[in-house]
Amino acid sequence: MDLSLTEEQEMLKAAVRRFVDTEYPKETLLELQATGQNAPSEPWSKLAATGWLGIIIPTEYGGEGGSFTDAGVLFEELGRGPVPGPHISTAALGALAILEAGTEEQKRGLLPDVAAGRRTIALAITEADYQWDESDVQAIAATDGDGYRISGTKVYVYDAAAATDLICAVRTENRQHVGLALVPADAPGVSIRRLEGFAWNLAEVRLDGVQIGQSSVLSGRAMPGESPFAGGWLAVERAVANAIPLLCAYQVGGSQQVYEMSVEYSRTRIQFGTPIGRFQRVQDHIINLVNELDSARWTTYEALWKLDTERDAADSIHLAKTVSSVAYYNACNHAHEVHAGVGSTTEYGLTLHTTASRTLYQFLGDPRFHRRRLADALGL
Amino acid sequence: MDFEPRYTAEQEAFRTEVQEWLRDNIPTGIEHPADSSDLTYEQYQLRRDLGRRLGEKGWLWPTAPEEYGGGGLTVDHSVVLEEEIDGYNLSLPPYYDSGGRLGGNSILVWGSEEQKQEFLPKIFKGQIRTWQLLTEPEAGSDLANAKASARRDGDDYVINGQKVYVGSAHGSDYMWTITCTDPEGDRHHNLSWFMVPSDLPGISVFPMDLLSSAGESGAGSGVKNIVYFDNVRVPAKNLIGGENEGWKVATTHLELEHGTGGKIGRNWIVDRIFDYCKSNNRRGEPLSKDSDIRESLIDIYIDAEIGRLFQLRNYWMRHSGAQVTYEGPQASYFRKQSGLRIATGILDILGPAALTKDAQWGAGEGHIEAHQRAAIIALHPGGTTDIQKVIMSRRIGIGRQQRERAGALA
Ligand SMILES: Cc1cc2nc3c(=O)[nH]c(=O)nc-3n(C[C@H](O)[C@H](O)[C@H](O)COP(=O)(O)OP(=O)(O)OC[C@H]3O[C@@H](n4cnc5c(N)ncnc54)[C@H](O)[C@@H]3O)c2cc1C
Ligand SMILES: Cc1cc2nc3c(=O)[nH]c(=O)nc-3n(C[C@H](O)[C@H](O)[C@H](O)COP(=O)(O)OP(=O)(O)OC[C@H]3O[C@@H](n4cnc5c(N)ncnc54)[C@H](O)[C@@H]3O)c2cc1C
Repeated sequence: MDLSLTEEQEMLKAAVRRFVDTEYPKETLLELQATGQNAPSEPWSKLAATGWLGIIIPTEYGGEGGSFTDAGVLFEELGRGPVPGPHISTAALGALAILEAGTEEQKRGLLPDVAAGRRTIALAITEADYQWDESDVQAIAATDGDGYRISGTKVYVYDAAAATDLICAVRTENRQHVGLALVPADAPGVSIRRLEGFAWNLAEVRLDGVQIGQSSVLSGRAMPGESPFAGGWLAVERAVANAIPLLCAYQVGGSQQVYEMSVEYSRTRIQFGTPIGRFQRVQDHIINLVNELDSARWTTYEALWKLDTERDAADSIHLAKTVSSVAYYNACNHAHEVHAGVGSTTEYGLTLHTTASRTLYQFLGDPRFHRRRLADALGL
Repeated sequence: MDFEPRYTAEQEAFRTEVQEWLRDNIPTGIEHPADSSDLTYEQYQLRRDLGRRLGEKGWLWPTAPEEYGGGGLTVDHSVVLEEEIDGYNLSLPPYYDSGGRLGGNSILVWGSEEQKQEFLPKIFKGQIRTWQLLTEPEAGSDLANAKASARRDGDDYVINGQKVYVGSAHGSDYMWTITCTDPEGDRHHNLSWFMVPSDLPGISVFPMDLLSSAGESGAGSGVKNIVYFDNVRVPAKNLIGGENEGWKVATTHLELEHGTGGKIGRNWIVDRIFDYCKSNNRRGEPLSKDSDIRESLIDIYIDAEIGRLFQLRNYWMRHSGAQVTYEGPQASYFRKQSGLRIATGILDILGPAALTKDAQWGAGEGHIEAHQRAAIIALHPGGTTDIQKVIMSRRIGIGRQQRERAGALA
């Protein structure tokens, strides 16, 4: 047993931390939150240039061929910002969906661009009946000559406004298959509208008779003679499952950051002539916070390890998402208690995390969804 | 015991009068926006105008003494008024007036007869809107550390310093302010309160950018501000409760702010989430029929009912003259913590729809989204949850030799 990171992982961690500190200072993050647009942007081009977006893409497709744990280290550090997407959507969800669902030709065609950040992706799955189940996908791909016409409304789509391409879950006309179509975000018939408010980088995506060719269906799982959409849902479920621990790592990074902010503040803020960290009630907030953080960290890294060692990871994935979503949410709440007034101001930076924690609480399935899946995975 | 308000024939007659008056006098366009920062200046003026007309009838501060411009009405009458105005999603007063509520009560207890005559009718008749200015960068929970200074100079005091997280949108007429009148003096014996006219030279107000202004009790403030005092000359007659006697006054102010006043009313956000779940479907079934959602709704309901009863109890205790100890901070503590639990429950029920004010994809016309932001920020105003616990402990009589007594209320 060895629960430490490898030397290379430590180096990666340090490099990403330096990168985030330099390219994504608080001022930049606040500006990005106001406009909601981390891509295209200057820091985003620099992030793409590092090659990190190809971290889990195999080298034969132009990626770095790293492990899930390597990617976990990357996303944990990005989560400290929190650096807004579309990195998880592109480098984790997008890359995994193409790896799981694409044909060999599609992988060769698409993945090098994904790895280089030339193509950024958002996964458009959820609709009005908001759940992460196959039965809730109602957008239709109707046969149209050689290709298809896609119609439907996707909603609460994370990172949609920052992506060049959308991977859309769609149902065939005969309603038999749910599969995946790659749709350029600027294709005629696509309209993307940001959802305003406390939501973090969520959008509505309208698909209004969007025309795509055969080659845009991610058809790697369809048997000869089957609809090219066949097997697509299975593939995206696997992609989402494997991306979840990476999203969790991002939540771990966010929790780590608000923990460090809170410890620092409790040492320096003076009330009643003493640092507030001397008050046991403040200590309680910080202890609750670190307990959330560590719960998220160790459930997440065990899930990543299971993926890397090709163990059955279903239970750990659902456990990690349940725990990390609650942990990041609560970590922010505890941090607000420690900071009181100053934490409410946007310029302080804590609310960047509070905002992220709410949206990520439910993205890729909320705690209740994953508790049910966990019960299934445990054979209950 | 009797939890049900029993209405006498006289009260019912009064209710009819109130209903008719409100029907004729509440203008359209006064509606509570989801986020109080969206309250326009015109809406604010409509509310002020309604306040003045309520004030003329003695219905703005119904139980405040008549001799100082209040309604002089009984609690029975005020219950009816509060119930009826609540039906319009308004409260009394129908705008943010924290300094009127807390300052007015403090003046009633600690002001001289002359001061009562000067300030109270303006408050109770709705002629002025007042902010409360307590917090400073270095004096949050530790209010007694207030450093904004007031130095006597002839017939005036000269105020210098800074207050933070105070006030509202659309300005104020007066600022109810605690200052330090003896920098060398002993803690708790060096503070003094002033009613400061907001238009005095040297006062500047800068809005702050917060995640939410959190809607304290009464109407939401919309915005919190930083207020700077730069050699502001305030007439000495505006000093309330005596020089260096400010802590005494503060105990009255804080007692009310910590929830001892109690209130009667619905929990608007709970009504909204219940309505929403009954009238919106997921997968062809009303949300309220889903077993997980039912569980969450009932958790929310339980929190709301306990909160309602704590407030009802405090209202009754205050108006029946019962001896209060820890009940104020208890209600405040419970309201804050349960507010956050309710927000989490709503997020569990609605998912991302709880997080956007989008007309199509949000919920409850933006009120749900605003509540998600407010619930976390509402932990702090009027004393953090930790401070509520500290006060409860002292009132229960633990941790100190002497059990602390509640602040005096009028
Ligand atoms: C099942 C069991 C097994 C045990 N086994 C062992 C053993 O093997 N060896 C051994 O030496 N002892 C043992 N103990 C004793 C144990 O260590 C003490 O009970 C414990 O340290 C608390 O001391 P106390 O009971 O005197 O309570 P107190 O110290 O009197 O505490 C009473 C209450 O005050 C609180 N409190 C006290 N001080 C503070 C403070 N500074 N800040 C905040 N809160 C405070 C406590 O949390 C508690 O709620 C055992 C106790 C139990 C119940
Ligand atoms: C939305 C909003 C509206 C507000 N409106 C007003 C207003 O209208 N007028 C006004 O004057 N002020 C207002 N405030 C300020 C508010 O009253 C203060 O934020 C609050 O009292 C806490 O002070 P602080 O922010 O300086 O936190 P601090 O006092 O610095 O507290 C930091 C942390 O230390 C803890 N702590 C401090 N002392 C103790 C102790 N003795 N024991 C245990 N824990 C302790 C706190 O609980 C908290 O966890 C508002 C604040 C907000 C956020």
